[in-house]
Amino acid sequence: MAIATPSAPPPPRRGLARVFAPRRLAAVAIAAAVVSLFIWPGWQSRYVILYGRLLFVGLWMLLSFGVLEVWPARLPRWLARWGLQVMGVAATVPFAAITVYAFMTPSDPPFWEDTLRLTGFGLLNLFGLLVGPWMAVSAVFRQITGAAEHQALTFELTRSELERKAADSQLRLLQARVEPHFLFNTLANVRELVDAGSPQASPVLASLIAYLRAAVPRLEEATSTVERELELVRAYLEVMQMRMPDRLQYVIVADDAARALACPPTTLLTLVENAVRHGIDPSEDGGRIEVRASVRGERLLAQVLDTGVGLAASGRAGSLGTGLTTLRERLALTFGGAENVRVTLVAVEPRGTCAEVELPARRDGGA
Amino acid sequence: MSERRPTALIADDEPLLRSSLARLLAKAWPELEIVVEARNGREAVERFEELAPDVCFLDVHMPGLSGVEAARFIGRRAHLVFVTAYDQYAVQAFEHGALDYLVKPVEPARLADTVARLKERLGAAHAPRPASGTEALLDALAARLRRDGAAPVHLRWIRLSVGPSVRLVAIDDVDYLRADEKYTLVAWRDGGKPEEGLIRTPLKELSAQLDPARFAQVHRSVIVNLRSILNVTRSSNETAEIRLKGRPEILPVSRSYTHLFQQM
Repeated sequence: MAIATPSAPPPPRRGLARVFAPRRLAAVAIAAAVVSLFIWPGWQSRYVILYGRLLFVGLWMLLSFGVLEVWPARLPRWLARWGLQVMGVAATVPFAAITVYAFMTPSDPPFWEDTLRLTGFGLLNLFGLLVGPWMAVSAVFRQITGAAEHQALTFELTRSELERKAADSQLRLLQARVEPHFLFNTLANVRELVDAGSPQASPVLASLIAYLRAAVPRLEEATSTVERELELVRAYLEVMQMRMPDRLQYVIVADDAARALACPPTTLLTLVENAVRHGIDPSEDGGRIEVRASVRGERLLAQVLDTGVGLAASGRAGSLGTGLTTLRERLALTFGGAENVRVTLVAVEPRGTCAEVELPARRDGGA
Repeated sequence: MSERRPTALIADDEPLLRSSLARLLAKAWPELEIVVEARNGREAVERFEELAPDVCFLDVHMPGLSGVEAARFIGRRAHLVFVTAYDQYAVQAFEHGALDYLVKPVEPARLADTVARLKERLGAAHAPRPASGTEALLDALAARLRRDGAAPVHLRWIRLSVGPSVRLVAIDDVDYLRADEKYTLVAWRDGGKPEEGLIRTPLKELSAQLDPARFAQVHRSVIVNLRSILNVTRSSNETAEIRLKGRPEILPVSRSYTHLFQQM
């Protein structure tokens, strides 16, 4: 069942750590070395000085690239962030070059009167302007494609997760249907009706068949209607009433508008089975089940009330339980998100529970 | 040993299944007299105390007190046969404990085997009752059958003498317990009506078995159901008094327990 998940991306670096990330520093150092190879043949001074100057200018460009990456926080619509970064990097070059020549290695005649040094200043500017913005553009491009790839991967992951959930709940639906305990108990009852020659035997058997037909799921059938759901609920309740005539009463109330609506298969049945299993069956005196379906604006509201033992007595206080949780997951998948459906289970005074399902009202069977 | 017909009790919450078993037994064992039918475990125990049948057919899955829990109350005083629709775990446990069981729908051939075994045991001079050591097995099975099987097991039922008869009372229906010489007095509600009964278990022993979230000892000789309390009034000398919902009695709270009702 488990699927391989790509490892989570490391937390993003912040502040200076982000501006001078090791990869960026390495890129600047390598670029400075490459550029130095071009200038070195005509260089009259020590290599360390050449490399130092190139590196210094490179680091300033990196700083402005990094600063403009996050500042200013908002840009006018006509100015792209990457454009600003590339321009900023280019604009840094002359200032950094002047700083290097005028302040860091001052000389007696200022550098602009010394031909050799002026040439060096010019080369520094030239290469800075050639290489810096180009590196900035490629860095931005890498970032953009990286983000796109990550997004695609995340999307793929979400999609496969959803597919897995859908398959899971389908599987659980298959497994959950027709408990052997229910089936054998019911058959034992039916046999007694037959042995006793009761005229009830045939109608009860018909209800059992109707229940089994719906409860043994046909996979291709993705939707049902409230009308058909209520027929199924009635078949189930008739079977249960044969089994516990002294402990179960029921009533089904639904208006025509609600009956015509689409409804995922076995939604109402799940609520009713839950009410019998956890409310009526554990109670010595049993109780009454009321099934209601109505339309509220653009929503279908289905309610199942029971006067059974209640939430605390059946150990369900504060939770939906497995059946209703599975139902909610299944409905959320059918209706495109948990925010579109509501499944609740609350206590009713003086005793019993009320389970509610609220769904978008859809008229057509297909979705 | 005796000329009287053997007697039996059938407990099942589904009436058709009670009559089904009675019908099958009438064929397989015509001499057996079904003296009573019960709708749940509590009725089964109460009717058993009344009529003491030789054999009890107990449905495992019943509302309130399950068949397995009822078996614990009946103990070795009768021959027990469990009946279950489908429960692999229960069936395994019965096999393991050498207990008699039937699977629903009951097969006549299988029932005939069970009847033969029961006749043999009833016919023996000193009828060997179900083996001891099955209590622990039944306890484990009962805990598993309950939905909240994982929760710590507190006392859920009390068997009371009310006048000449025996009643099985759910612990939730008990208002308070009071030590009374040799006995413990149990004040409970029968469908809202206040009732009283006696048990032999000392209060101290009961107190250890009660859920502390529901019951509190308020006096050396009194344990009260917190849900039954109407109000608590302070009286002089750092003691207090408890008034109950729907009962006239006033319960004392002794000095060492008044902290339970102090306001934060």
